[in-house]
Amino acid sequence: MSEASTNYFVCVAEIAAKLDQATHIAQQLSLTASNARAVALRAGERAAGFRPLTDFIDRLAEITISSSKKINLLASRLSQTSADKVRADDAIEHFHAVYIKAKNSPYISSLDSQLMRCESVQEDLNRKYRRQIDQLSDELAMLSNELRNAVILATLSRVEASQAGSEYQEALINVADNVEGAAGKIKEHIKYSQQMVSILEEY
Amino acid sequence: MKTHKLFDNGSHTWLMFGRDEEKPEQIIDTNQYIVITKNNALLMDPGGIELFSAMLSAVIKQVPANKITHLFASHQDPDIISSLGLWDQALPSATLHSPWLWESFIRHFGMHNIHYAAIPDEGNSLKLDSVTLDFIPAHYLHSSGNFNVYDSKAKILMSGDIGAALETVEAPLFVEDFDDHIDKMKMFHQRWMPSNKAKNDWVQRVRKLDIDMMCPQHGRIFKGDNVKRFLDWFEALEVGLINKGSN
Repeated sequence: MSEASTNYFVCVAEIAAKLDQATHIAQQLSLTASNARAVALRAGERAAGFRPLTDFIDRLAEITISSSKKINLLASRLSQTSADKVRADDAIEHFHAVYIKAKNSPYISSLDSQLMRCESVQEDLNRKYRRQIDQLSDELAMLSNELRNAVILATLSRVEASQAGSEYQEALINVADNVEGAAGKIKEHIKYSQQMVSILEEY
Repeated sequence: MKTHKLFDNGSHTWLMFGRDEEKPEQIIDTNQYIVITKNNALLMDPGGIELFSAMLSAVIKQVPANKITHLFASHQDPDIISSLGLWDQALPSATLHSPWLWESFIRHFGMHNIHYAAIPDEGNSLKLDSVTLDFIPAHYLHSSGNFNVYDSKAKILMSGDIGAALETVEAPLFVEDFDDHIDKMKMFHQRWMPSNKAKNDWVQRVRKLDIDMMCPQHGRIFKGDNVKRFLDWFEALEVGLINKGSN
C-alpha cells in the first residue's frame, strides 16, 4: 500500500485500482459459495443448516461485485472531473501569469471574457467534484456496512460446519475461513479508499 | 520572449516571437510567427505548453485575443502544438489548420472548442481578409504529414523545421554568414529529415516561389541571397543519416 498521495489525480486512480482488486476478491467469494453449495449437497442432511448460508455468501459476493463496479464507475467519473479541473486550474493559472506579464498591453482586457468563462467552468467543476466525492463516500460506507455481515456469516458457517460430521467439516470450515479472509481483504481496500476520499475532500 | 516585425505593408503584418530567455533550459528554443490582417490573425506553430504564458503575453501585446481566429500547426510535434489545450481555453472559436494525417493525434493535446481544419496532402489556401496564405506540402521534412506557409505578397516562407538550427537564445535573428551557419544546421537536417526524394521534390517546388525571407521554427531566418544558398546547400545534402558517412 503506497503512502497517501498529495496528488488528487493519483488518489482517484488508486481508489479505482483498489476497488478493482475488491471485485476480483468478490469473484473468488462467489466461487467459494458455489463450492460450499456442492459440499453441503454431498453432506446431505448433516449440512442442511449450511445450505441457506451459501445463499448469503452468494448475496454478499453479488453486493460486493455490484457495489465495487459502481464505485469504479464513480471513481472513473471523478477521474474525468479531476482531469477537467486540472485543465481549468492550469488555464486560469496561465491566464493570471499573462495578466502580470502583459499588464501594460492595450489588448489585455480582450482576455477578460475567456478568464471569466474559465472561472465559471472551474466553479461548476468544483461543485461537480464535491458531489461526486460525496457519492463515492456514501457508496464506500454502504459496502463497508454490508461486509460487517461477513463476520456473522463466517461464525454461523463454523457452527454449521461443526455439525456436518468429520468428513465434511474441514471443507466447510475452509469455506468459513475463505469468507472471513475475503471480507477482511475487501475491507482493507475499502478502508484505504476511504482514506483517499478523505484526502480528496481537502481539495 | 522577443517580438520582431518581419514585414508590414499596411494590409498585413508578419511578426516573429522567440528567443525566450525565461524558458526552461532543457527545452529547445522555438520561433513562432503571426500574420495579422485587418480583422484576423493566424498564429503559426504556437509552441509547447511550457511557452504558453510567455507566448500569449507576447501576442496579446500585439493583437486582441478575439482577433486570433486561426492557428496553424505544421506537424504534430510537442514543441509545435502541445500548448493546444491552453489555446483551446483562450481562443474558443478559432480554427486550427494542420495536416489531415495528424488530426486524431493532435486532438490528444486537448481540443474541445477549437475547430480542426484538416489540410489535404496537396495543400490548400487560407484567405485572411485580403491576404491569401498558401499551405505548401513539405511532407517528410521532417514529419510524414508536414506543411509550410507561403505568403506571395510578403514573399515570406514559414518553413517549419526546414532551415532549422539548434542554437541558444542569444543567437541573432538572421543568418549573417551562410557558410558559418552550415555547421549549426547540418546534423539537424541529416538526422531529422528521412527522405532525399521528398527533400529534392520540395526544393524543386520552392525554387519556383518568389521568396525574400525563409523563416524556420528553430534558429535563424534566411534573407535575400541566403534563401537561394540554403536551397542549393539543402539540395546537395544527403539526408536520412544517423551521422556522417554511416549510410
